[in-house]
Amino acid sequence: MMDIQEKLKEIGPYVEAEDDGMLVCRCEEVTKGEIRKAVHEGIFTIEELRRYLRSGMGLCQGQTCGKLVKGIVARELGVAPSEVEPASSRAPMRPIEMEILAEDGGVAHE
Amino acid sequence: MKIERYDMIVIGAGPAGLSAAIEAAKKGIKPIVFDENEKPGGQLFKQIHKFFGSKEHKAKVRGFKIGEELLAEAREYGVEVVLNATVVGLYPEKEITVKIGNEIKHYKGDAVLVATGASENMVNFKGWTLPGVIGAGAAQTMMNLHHIKPGKRVLMLGSGNVGLVVSFQLLQAGCEVVALADAAPRVGGYGVHAAKVARCGVPFYLSHTIVEAEGEDCVTGVVIGQVGPDWKVIPGTEKHFDVDTICLAVGLSPMSQLLKQAGCEMSDTKGGYVPVCQEDGATSVSGIFAAGDVSGIEEASSAMIEGRMSGATISCYLGYITEEEKQARIKELEAQLDTLRQGMFAPKNRGKLVEKTEEGIAVSMSLLENGYVADTEIERYPGVTKQEGIHPVIECTQNIPCNPCQDACPKGCICIGKNITSLPVVSKEHKCIGCGMCVASCSGQAIFLVQENVEPGFGEVTMPYEFLPLPKVGEKGIALGRDGKEVCEAEVTKVRTAPVFDHTNLLTIKVPNDRIMKARFYRGENGQQSAK
Repeated sequence: MMDIQEKLKEIGPYVEAEDDGMLVCRCEEVTKGEIRKAVHEGIFTIEELRRYLRSGMGLCQGQTCGKLVKGIVARELGVAPSEVEPASSRAPMRPIEMEILAEDGGVAHE
Repeated sequence: MKIERYDMIVIGAGPAGLSAAIEAAKKGIKPIVFDENEKPGGQLFKQIHKFFGSKEHKAKVRGFKIGEELLAEAREYGVEVVLNATVVGLYPEKEITVKIGNEIKHYKGDAVLVATGASENMVNFKGWTLPGVIGAGAAQTMMNLHHIKPGKRVLMLGSGNVGLVVSFQLLQAGCEVVALADAAPRVGGYGVHAAKVARCGVPFYLSHTIVEAEGEDCVTGVVIGQVGPDWKVIPGTEKHFDVDTICLAVGLSPMSQLLKQAGCEMSDTKGGYVPVCQEDGATSVSGIFAAGDVSGIEEASSAMIEGRMSGATISCYLGYITEEEKQARIKELEAQLDTLRQGMFAPKNRGKLVEKTEEGIAVSMSLLENGYVADTEIERYPGVTKQEGIHPVIECTQNIPCNPCQDACPKGCICIGKNITSLPVVSKEHKCIGCGMCVASCSGQAIFLVQENVEPGFGEVTMPYEFLPLPKVGEKGIALGRDGKEVCEAEVTKVRTAPVFDHTNLLTIKVPNDRIMKARFYRGENGQQSAK
């Protein structure tokens, strides 16, 4: 387990960049700057980032931005993308209406 | 709650999934295949180009035809395919949840094969969310499935096979491809694919990336710039193009989330997040298998073989065939797969600069940097000879696993030999009769027939031509060189079509003798033709 305080010291403070306003996760409208800032707030894994910013939690479930987000986090941390801990995968793997999900297993199929 | 049981569940009705189901069905298993799309076949039905390989890989057959054959075979062996069925969960106990209509259904398989394929990568640049920025796969869907032009003027980003093939298809659909850019310093895909795009006049910008997509409500232009060693754009190198479409072909990522959910051991590789798999498709979870792009991005041809391997393995796992029968089948399939993984583009060569062919001939640097073999380089390849009378000129300059031309020639003029990646050699002993079978057979559209002195001072060049409407005999236009630039005036002297050519028409033009080794494409006076 990495020491978050140590790592934060190592990567230094967040410095604004020109393209920070660029949308990265278009489903949930998360910008590059928000992701970079989050890393400097101690969010180092994709799982935490998804919960914190909702990046990759929208309609495409990170299919479009997943790799890009990982790249941004990796660059900010100064590590290879493969070293960034991925999010866990869980059902439903595709967007699904709550109505349908709610009835799963609850209705008797005769 | 009802759970339906099956011996074998396949997720994904693309080339890998269908092949696996067919292989297993042949052994007596009754597999069920789920696919979230409304049509089966995965990406195969978007592929209108001829595939590479040898006969056993269905070389020179167009992708969608291979898809049709696969579907027919699936029907013949009673493979049950459920469409519009989205698998939303895969659990270690090999239970899956599937959304069908407004219901979630539960299935349990003794073996589950995940063949979910891959999705397209994106890149971020200013304006990348504007309407008009699309994936190359989307462009293919629009053109080849729905017969809609994605745009009028297109910039393609990505020089891998997808970028090259889709660029050519955009030209066939009647779009103008204003440029093909790639941040990499060299063309990533097959040289023959690049050459057929370049000779249509599409300029290649290697070491270039997109700076910005311009436009308020939709794309109206694009700016690209040259990248330095640090991958950043070098100021002052920016170039603007008026376009309404920006097409991105920047790689694929395996859609492996279901495997991860099921608890399969995963590995983060350069090719994406993939399950740790044995070659027969077995993952770390007993009874869960993976095949095709989801286990590592390759071609559809490889996916089909991988699928068959998984099908054989599952047949054995379920007790339908013996271990010996399985081993024998796997060995046979491995040999086929191995052939496809040979040559300059073999997985082991990914990202490497191969400077010499297997024959020891220098690779064309112009091909890698500009998309076409320079006139000064072309004569060093064994398919390019000078002969009296009509003869083939084979501009196949990289070792790729493909050999239909060898069998196409009824006179034995063309020899590739036992090694499928060898460059084709044109013999001077056998007599070419000018039938054009080799021209039509070449999936890379790299074979031409040339003949000097058809009449005093003039010769003829016969080229593969896949654009419509076809030029008419007697029509005059412009001959273009390998670089897509004007070479000379040309007159159409023959247009041949035949069912056996499978829509690769043979266009013969008359040009001055000293231009027959330069003229490689024809543009009618009305400009660009289109295929549909």
